[in-house]
Amino acid sequence: MSAHQADTIADFGMDTITLAGPLAAKLRAIRGAGFGQVMLTARDIVGHADGWEAAVDEVRGSGLRVTGFQVLRDFEGLSGHLHDYKVDVARSMIDLCAALRSPLLLVCSSTSPHAGDDEAAMARDLRKLAMMALPRGIRIAYEGLSWGRRINDCVGAWRIVCKADAPNLGIGIDSFHSFATRTPTEVLQDVDPQKIYLVQLSDFMWQEIRSVEERIDTARHFRVFPGEGVHSDELCRLVAGLDRMGYRGDYSFEVFNDDFTQMPLPLVAERARRSAAWLAEDVLRRAAPLPGGPRLRAA
Amino acid sequence: MTAPIARETPATLVNPAGIEGIEFVEYRTPRPQALGQVLEAVGFRPIARHRSREVLLYRQGGMNVIVNAHGVAAAAEGDVPQIAALALRVRDAAAAWKRAVDLGGWPVPVQVQPMELHIPGIQGPGASRLYFVDRWREFSIYDVDFVPIPTVDPVVPAVQALHWFGVVQYVGLDRSADWSAFYSALLGFAELPAEQRFGILPSGRVLASPCGTFYFQLVEPQTIDADDAHERLHRVAFGSADVPAATAALRERGVDFVESDALRSDTSGALTRPQLGGVMFELVHHRQE
Repeated sequence: MSAHQADTIADFGMDTITLAGPLAAKLRAIRGAGFGQVMLTARDIVGHADGWEAAVDEVRGSGLRVTGFQVLRDFEGLSGHLHDYKVDVARSMIDLCAALRSPLLLVCSSTSPHAGDDEAAMARDLRKLAMMALPRGIRIAYEGLSWGRRINDCVGAWRIVCKADAPNLGIGIDSFHSFATRTPTEVLQDVDPQKIYLVQLSDFMWQEIRSVEERIDTARHFRVFPGEGVHSDELCRLVAGLDRMGYRGDYSFEVFNDDFTQMPLPLVAERARRSAAWLAEDVLRRAAPLPGGPRLRAA
Repeated sequence: MTAPIARETPATLVNPAGIEGIEFVEYRTPRPQALGQVLEAVGFRPIARHRSREVLLYRQGGMNVIVNAHGVAAAAEGDVPQIAALALRVRDAAAAWKRAVDLGGWPVPVQVQPMELHIPGIQGPGASRLYFVDRWREFSIYDVDFVPIPTVDPVVPAVQALHWFGVVQYVGLDRSADWSAFYSALLGFAELPAEQRFGILPSGRVLASPCGTFYFQLVEPQTIDADDAHERLHRVAFGSADVPAATAALRERGVDFVESDALRSDTSGALTRPQLGGVMFELVHHRQE
């Protein structure tokens, strides 16, 4: 890959969840394909054979920027001891996030049957989480899982984020969930692009998803990279629309795929690179490299 | 009008954490004697020693400064003394602490010896801590953990009535809104309009304490390529009703002030020259109520 292309895909990255093997091999493959950033999964860090500190060292030594850290589940809407328990879990994840110098913690909308439906309480919990992460310089991206109990799309996630109103709390968008629930791209028109903290991209290979069970199954085992599935038109509309509305954050490939975890890592990473090149050059029509170096300060 | 109606009640009257001032500022340093000399030059005097640790209490007027050298390794933290904690006077320390933690503050682990005071706190910027103290009217918290230094009068008159004005915090790039929200949510601070500034270093944002007696100032790096992203409580500021008189009095005690084309002492404020690699104090024109 040319240095030029490394620049045009500078805001794209891979998730460690797509690849098999130890963390060091994943980081090497991602870097080797020409990516500059990686989205990390807690399991890759805490499951390291030499301990999480060794994992942190590997990440820091990889030359890759950390896109974010995932995933805190079922946080909002709990009460009493369940809430306290999740606060403890969240503190541990924020600690890891800070050690990894990850600027972002991804939080998925709750699927817990123990969580209440009171959106004011959910907003209060997310605001608390944002305040917990704030002194460490970590932003919280709240994503509506399509099988979330109360919040199951980016519209709902945005509603809660607005209600919570914290400077370091925004939404994460996952194309899979948007396509699975047939959420139109137009709903993002009401969202402040500065408050979209992360966009995760993937596709899948069939049009119909008939049940929630099938949706979960597809999400966890059968995702593919953008350009490899059947929603390429929707992906183009989503990415071009985000770009038009002023989104300048990162795109990460959130591709859960059982086949990819049985393939050599460089092959999978190369598929990801082709996908990023397609989005950057054909969809976003980037001819000139993005400016490198530190990001310009927001006005 | 004596009873403001709800709609016109200023936000600064709301004081959910019951804050009533600054009880003490704590520095950590591997060179406590050197810092002690700097503090004495600006008018503080050591009045008590901690019962079990290498910690000294300095006082001037109503201001208490704790110099903590307990377990501070010189190599680990460098030699520059750091502001390690700010203790806030509150109406009810347990309630203020619980409220802050419920809203997202990180509880500070308690490490007290038997018979020592447990002061509840939350993590502040960088490695610093924010403590809550409610026993300051009826008796002194220092009577529990500190032993008075013999022959020293614990009442130390302040140089030119110096008093706490506030704390300047260095924040990362684009981080002012974050910290403003943090102090507002957890402690009830309110950001002042941009035209309301104090002293000779007016940059950044200024937050007023809910009790109206002191201020936090948030200062970001000036350039985007500044590698000074390290967030910390950078310096304290003393209020003085007569800055030139206070400056003159401190000069007589051997304190140097920054006097340059860009920055010089005037009636609104002054800045001492950095000592020990970075310890400085600001004077700000301010009348204590």
